[in-house]
Amino acid sequence: MKTRFTRTVTGTAVLALGLSLSACGSSDSGGTGASPAGEESGQFHVLVYGDATNKVEKQIVDTFNKTSKVKAVLDTIPGADYQQKLQTIINTDQAPDVFFNWGGGSIAPFVRANLLLPLDDYIAKDPGLKSNFLPSVFNSASVNGKAYGVPMRGTQPVMLFNNKKVLADAGVTPPTTWDELIAAVQKLKAKGVTPIALGGGDQWPTLMWFEYAYDRIAGPELFQKALDGDKQAWAGEDSKKALTMLKQLIDTGAFGDKFDSVKFTDQGSPTLLANGKAGFELMGSWEYATIQDFNLKFAKNDLGYTNFPSIAGGKGDPNNVVGNTNNFYSVLKKTKTPKAVGEFLKLMYSDEFVKASLAIGNLPTTTNTEKFLDAADNPDYLKYQFNLVKQAPSFQLSWDQAYPPSGIEPIHRAVQQFFSGQIDADGFIQAMQALPAA
Amino acid sequence: MTTIAPAVSGRRRTKSLGSLEMGRPGFAWAIPATLFFGLFAIVPLILVAVLSFTRWDGLSSPELVGFENWSALLDDPIMIKSLWLSLLLTVLGVVIQTPLSVLLGVWAAGHQRNRAILSAIYFIPLLLSATAVSVLWRALLDPNFGIPAQASWLFGNGNLFGKQATAIGVLAFVSTWQFTPFHTLIYQGAARAIPRVLYQAAEIDGASTVRQFWSITLPQLRNSMITSMILMVVGGLTTFDTVLILTQGGPGTDTMISAYYMYEKGFRNFEFGAASAIALVLVVVATLVSLVVVRASGYDKMRSTLEGM
Repeated sequence: MKTRFTRTVTGTAVLALGLSLSACGSSDSGGTGASPAGEESGQFHVLVYGDATNKVEKQIVDTFNKTSKVKAVLDTIPGADYQQKLQTIINTDQAPDVFFNWGGGSIAPFVRANLLLPLDDYIAKDPGLKSNFLPSVFNSASVNGKAYGVPMRGTQPVMLFNNKKVLADAGVTPPTTWDELIAAVQKLKAKGVTPIALGGGDQWPTLMWFEYAYDRIAGPELFQKALDGDKQAWAGEDSKKALTMLKQLIDTGAFGDKFDSVKFTDQGSPTLLANGKAGFELMGSWEYATIQDFNLKFAKNDLGYTNFPSIAGGKGDPNNVVGNTNNFYSVLKKTKTPKAVGEFLKLMYSDEFVKASLAIGNLPTTTNTEKFLDAADNPDYLKYQFNLVKQAPSFQLSWDQAYPPSGIEPIHRAVQQFFSGQIDADGFIQAMQALPAA
Repeated sequence: MTTIAPAVSGRRRTKSLGSLEMGRPGFAWAIPATLFFGLFAIVPLILVAVLSFTRWDGLSSPELVGFENWSALLDDPIMIKSLWLSLLLTVLGVVIQTPLSVLLGVWAAGHQRNRAILSAIYFIPLLLSATAVSVLWRALLDPNFGIPAQASWLFGNGNLFGKQATAIGVLAFVSTWQFTPFHTLIYQGAARAIPRVLYQAAEIDGASTVRQFWSITLPQLRNSMITSMILMVVGGLTTFDTVLILTQGGPGTDTMISAYYMYEKGFRNFEFGAASAIALVLVVVATLVSLVVVRASGYDKMRSTLEGM
C-alpha cells in the first residue's frame, strides 16, 4: 500500500513534468504552415513572417507566377515565434527555398551551418540585384563579406518622437544636441510630465538608447569590433563615457520612476506620448502606425519626429541611424530551382513592389522608392525617413539582431539591469563581454 | 439523520472488502495507460537526459560534450537563484492559497442563501486559460492606466514589475486568483462529506462555531488538504505561462524561475543541451519535493477520517 501510493504520486509528478516539457517541444514544431518543399521540381517555397504585410508578398508571388513556369508558393508562420520555428525546420525536409529574416545575426548561424546560398552568382549575372538597393541596408545582410539577403520589406530606423503640444507648453524645441536634450528633460520634468516615455518592460526599447549613445560617442566601429570578437572594445574609454552619459540621463529622471512596468507592446508607452503624459519616445518608425491605430488625429497633427541628437566631442556622425535596416529574403543552398529563385528576387526592386509596399505604409529601400513617395498616404513622414536612411553614413543594425540569437536575452537583461540600477557600468561591460562572438 | 454515518462507513467497508476478494486486476488492464505514459513521459524524459550531454542548436546534429552542460549549470548563479525562486513561489502559493480555499470551501459547503450563485461566479477564473488571465492582469496593473494609477495609496508609484518583491507578489497574487477556486472545490466536496452527526454532538456539548471549525472541520479535511497541497506544489514548480507573460523573468533575473529559464535557454538561445540539463534538474527537484511532502504528511498511510465511527 505504502509503496504503491509513493509510486503513484511520484509517477503523477513525473508525468506532469514530462507533459509540460513535451508541450514546450510540440508548440515549437506544430503549426508551421509549411508544406514539404522541393518534392516537385515545378515549385519552390517562400516562407515569411505572418502579419499584415503578407498582402504585398502575396501580390508579388502572384505576379511572379503569371509569367514563370516554376511556381512560387508562399507559406507564412503566424505569430511572433518565427525565429524559433524557422530554426527547427530549416535543416529538415520541411525547409523552404527562400525565407524571411532580419539579416545580420539572425542568419549567421545558418551561414555557419553551411545552409545558405551566397548571392554573389546572382549579383554577377544581374548587378541590379545589389545596385538598386541603398547600400547601408543591403550590407546589413552580409556575413563574412558575402551577401546573403535581398531587402524585401520596409526599413525601420529608430527616431526620437515627440508630442509637439507638450513640448510647446514647456517651451521646448526638439533637441539637436545631448545638452539640449538634458535641458528639455529638466523643463518637462518641471512641468510635471514624464520627459521620455520608455517601455522598459519589453527591454528592447531600452536597448535603443544604448545603440544611439554608443554610435554618437564612439561611432559604429566600436560595436563592430566588439561583434567581431574584440571584447576589450566594451571596456574602452568611449564605452565608459556612453554609460556615464546614459546614467546621468536616467538619474535626471528622464524616464520617470516606473518605466520597468511599462511596455510598448501593449501600447503603454505610445499612449503616454499620445495622451500628453510624456514629451518624447525613442522608437522605431512603426511608432507612427502604432499610434495611428488608436489616435489618428494625434498621429497626423501633433506627432513630431527628429533624428537622435548629436553628442559634443563624439566620434560618430550625427547622421548615423540605428534600427532594423530591413527584412531580407535569403536562399537555401539545397534549393532545386535556383534560377527561378533568382528571377523571383529581382521583383524586390520592381516598381510594383515599391508601390504595393508604400500603399500599406512600408518604406522600401530601393533606389526607385523616391519616385513614388509623393503619391503615398503621408509623404512627409515617408520622405523624412527615406532621406534619413539615404543620407546616413552608417545604419547600425539593432544589437540584438546583429548578435546571434543566443545573445538576445543577455543583452536585453543587461540593458534593463543597467537602467534600473541593478548593475553599474562595470557590470554592464562584463555582461557584454560575456556575449558569444558572432 | 443519524443513519447517514453508519451507512457511509458501511459502504466504505464493503468496497475495501470487495477489492480484497477480487485481488489485483491483471496487467493487461494497465497496458494502454503504460504505453501512453511510456511514449509521452518516459521516452521524452530519456531523450532529454541524453540531450543534456550534448551541444545542440537545432540546426546541425547534436554533438556529445560530456558533462560540459552540467558543470556550467553548477557554476551558473542564475540556475541556483531560479531554483530558490521556484521554491519561493511554490511555498507562497501553498501558504496563501490553502487558508483561503479552506475558508471558502467550508463556506461554500454550507446552505446559505445566494451561496450557489456566488460560488459559480467565484469559479470563473479557473475556466480562463492562464495566458488569458496573465494578459488581463498585465493590463489591469499598468502603472499609468491601470488600477495602480488610481490607488497610489496602495501601490505607491505603481512600478510593480520593476522591483523583485512586488513582481513576485504579482505572480503569487495572479496564481492565487486563478487557482484558489479549484482548491475551494476540493474543500467544498470534502466539507460536505463530514457527517452532520459530529456537529450535532458538538452542539450538544456547547461548542461554538469557531470551536467546531478547529476541532471537527479541519481534522476531517486533513486528507483533502494533503491532496490539494501536492497539487499546489506540482503546479507551483511547473509554473510557466504567468511568468512568460507578466514578467519574462524580470526585472533582470529577479523572477527567473527554473521552468522559464529552461524555456529561455532552449527556445530563445537555442542551447537545447543546456536547457535539457535544467529540465532534468527540475524533474529531480520536483520528485524530491513531492516525496518529502508525501512522507511528511503521511499521505502514504492515509487513514480514513471516519475511523471509530
